[in-house]
Amino acid sequence: MNSEPASLNETKSHQQPLPLGTTPAFAGMHKWLQRGLVVCLTALVLEGAFTFPLLAMWYGWPTLSLQEICTEFEKIRFADESRVCIYPYPLFGPAEGAGQTTAQDQWGIQPRPQYKAIGYRELIQRVAARQAAESTGVP
Amino acid sequence: MSELTTSMSGMNALGTHDERSRQAQWQADKWMMSGALFLGSAVFGIIGLPLFLRGLALQLKAQRAGLTVRPMMVTLIGYLVAVDAALNSIGWALDMVAHHTLLARVFLMAWGNMFDAGYFWHYNELWIGGASAPGEKAWEIALLPLVFSMRIAAAIGFLQMKRWGHQWLVITCWFGVVAWTGYIANMTIFADVRYTGVVFPVIGWWLYDIFYITPFLALPYLHSVNREIFSH
Repeated sequence: MNSEPASLNETKSHQQPLPLGTTPAFAGMHKWLQRGLVVCLTALVLEGAFTFPLLAMWYGWPTLSLQEICTEFEKIRFADESRVCIYPYPLFGPAEGAGQTTAQDQWGIQPRPQYKAIGYRELIQRVAARQAAESTGVP
Repeated sequence: MSELTTSMSGMNALGTHDERSRQAQWQADKWMMSGALFLGSAVFGIIGLPLFLRGLALQLKAQRAGLTVRPMMVTLIGYLVAVDAALNSIGWALDMVAHHTLLARVFLMAWGNMFDAGYFWHYNELWIGGASAPGEKAWEIALLPLVFSMRIAAAIGFLQMKRWGHQWLVITCWFGVVAWTGYIANMTIFADVRYTGVVFPVIGWWLYDIFYITPFLALPYLHSVNREIFSH
């Protein structure tokens, strides 16, 4: 907001005024930094706005409700088909996984989980298969 | 007497210019602040972007009209660094205190299963809840109330062209360098936990998170700008 000596604000080559605070020596660098900032701003906005809906769709929404997705996550990470996602969760209750003994890991100094990556809308098939098994009485 | 008159009218012109510049800046800032609030909320970012761009356009217009407004780089860095810190804070605040909400259990774990199983593996098993990956909670506790809160405060001072704003932005952006180095080292050391059974590991994480490097883009500017402009 302060004024600056004219010599600092002008390039020698094209006599175009430089932004306040930018000296000729750093004009090029500031220009590239500004471009980088604009890219980051745009990317952060798009990520922020679309990550949740796109992730939800990948994992099966709207065919599955959010609570059903939450339940499937719980069954997979604790390797326990009897688990369900309790919602609303009691405010001062213990952590939902506290004391569990079913999760499958290869334990050691570098623990290695045994679950597999979940494919595109694979949770829908898991739910459908379970429902089909329940309806036919097959465990 | 005539010299005094000339001097007085010069001061009046300067005062008018100063007043008009302040008004133009405030007008632009009102749009940009509203935009930044939405941008920092992540999901409402799309609403915030046009508001923010409208503010930027107003500032540019004032600058072209010859008014003394904030340099564009200061505006971009100030708002973007604040938005970056707000976005980081939202995700980690969800994990710290809202880990049993349906939103957190779907969003954080979906994100974890997609990019970084630090947010999937044994999630909500620690007594404190949320992510259980080694070291993750420590980073949240260190960075959330210290680095990100301080960075937002610094960004506000920086946008007001205050000397302390510039100084504290330098400090908190260097905090960012420490945070990135430590965080990535921790993730790499416990890579089996973080990337086994993940849909889009390592490269996916980098593609997603690389845009949070705004503090690194700010640092070269902060060290090369003529800092005398931060004199308020």
